[in-house]
Amino acid sequence: MSSARMAWLASLGLLPAAAWGLLLFGPPAAAVLVVSIAAAAACELAVTLPRHGYTLSDGSAFFTGALVALMMPPAVPLYVPAVASAFGILVVKQTFGGLGRNWMNPAMGGVVFSFLSWPGLMSRWAAPLGSAAAGAEVPPLEALRAALAASGPRDVTPLGVLGRAGYPFSPMDASAVGWVNSHVLAPLGAALPQGSFDILVGHVAGSIGATCVPLVVAGAALLLARGVIRWHLPVFYLGTFALLSLVFGGLGTGQGWFAGGPGFHLLSGNLVLAAFFAAPDPVTSPLTDTGRLALGIILGVLTFLLRFFGSLADGAAAAILLGNCISPLLDRWLERRKSRVMEREAA
Amino acid sequence: MTDAGSGPIRPAAMREAPAVLLLLGFLPSVVVAVRVVDALWMAAGVLLVSIGSAVARSLLDWSSGSPGASTVGQTARWLRALVVSSLLTAAFEAALLAVAPAASAALGIYAPLVAVNLLAVGTDAASPRPLRAALGALHKGAWYAAGLVVVAFAREVLGAGTITLFPAGGFGGTIVVSALLDQPVRALGLAGGGLLCMGYLAAAVRAVSARKTGRST
Repeated sequence: MSSARMAWLASLGLLPAAAWGLLLFGPPAAAVLVVSIAAAAACELAVTLPRHGYTLSDGSAFFTGALVALMMPPAVPLYVPAVASAFGILVVKQTFGGLGRNWMNPAMGGVVFSFLSWPGLMSRWAAPLGSAAAGAEVPPLEALRAALAASGPRDVTPLGVLGRAGYPFSPMDASAVGWVNSHVLAPLGAALPQGSFDILVGHVAGSIGATCVPLVVAGAALLLARGVIRWHLPVFYLGTFALLSLVFGGLGTGQGWFAGGPGFHLLSGNLVLAAFFAAPDPVTSPLTDTGRLALGIILGVLTFLLRFFGSLADGAAAAILLGNCISPLLDRWLERRKSRVMEREAA
Repeated sequence: MTDAGSGPIRPAAMREAPAVLLLLGFLPSVVVAVRVVDALWMAAGVLLVSIGSAVARSLLDWSSGSPGASTVGQTARWLRALVVSSLLTAAFEAALLAVAPAASAALGIYAPLVAVNLLAVGTDAASPRPLRAALGALHKGAWYAAGLVVVAFAREVLGAGTITLFPAGGFGGTIVVSALLDQPVRALGLAGGGLLCMGYLAAAVRAVSARKTGRST
């Protein structure tokens, strides 16, 4: 499969999440998307047109711009996604030789650069469509951190912490959770916490394209079905993160071991979007399935550490950049190991 | 252990491992070069120690009776350069503390690293004649200092929205770039941003040199 086809298919995979983001956050989100893609395309043209001719048709600049935009807060000033895309294309990609030669994911480079440069602007969230209550403009993950920082550990799940802190989930959430609890879970002696529906369908504040995880996964399914990405890296990435969240995540909320609420953490932040659309980037991820598997585990550990113990609320983008640094080492180490095994077998 | 003759003095590990060179040589300077005024002080330190060290080592060679042909072993030459540079760095640090305590506090732990800096970047070249050694060190040190100031200028303007110089008369010492003051690109103030600026500066210099070489051949 050509790299252009892969990039355009990946862009197509972003479409469901982007459409949901535009529906949820309206014209400001559309402006961020347009500016980010336009900036990426303009920078790509400015660098490549004099030397290599027209390269926009390979789709990589479009994909970088779109992914940067989907990881931005909807109310961010427009120069931030523009600079992030420009940084990704000019510094991360073209400085190192262009498509196929960058050692770091351009979109993640741009996003992390923005987080480090304008942490305040990168927290300009907006309330989703139909949520006018005070506090609805804060993403659940950030609200959880704030609630835990304000009142210390509490003996409940992450959604329980949000509920006690008065996080404004939608009326639709109350209806849906109430119906499921009374008709499905009550006979089993179980109950969903308030907010489960909003978190699952992505009717919460957050990055433009990352709130609705089922739609992100639907887009990723297209990439997996068409062979654009392989399952090893995202599955082991998310699996490792979920396992660590389950085992250790509850310590921060006072619930002890094996009670960390991995579902909440998987459905919050940019994690799933990054795991399917940035981490398996064929240029910056290992070449072998074993390498991808190993990198997935490493990324899961890094994201867990950054999210639970770092200053970044999300941590996925920074973890992927760190993972990009060790991808070539994984390939080299695995190649050496393979050649040693072959030598032994030959002997 | 070292280059022969009057070439730059660097341990082999630094020559063979660019990352070590980068970390040891540039990182202290890059960390300091967040404000133009700090870069100017650091540049002054590099220049003074570089020139002083080159002249002192040249004189040591001259006093041994065979200028240009070092009578000590190569490992000893490297250690001698380190000792001389360290002594001069300590003198610079003490002078800075006396003359400009604020600058001394701003440079902090990085001022003593001028000595390591010199060895790592290879500006501390020995020459058989003191005057020539001084001029050689001035030439190399000036380029290094200029680079440091340019990097600091770019980082401070973009990363903080200010240009900090020496206060004089009615001038408070700080020029404000109002367009960038409210939301500066803070990433450039971090060490990674400094390395990025330095990398682009090095690439620009290399590109200009390559173009000049291409024209002359």
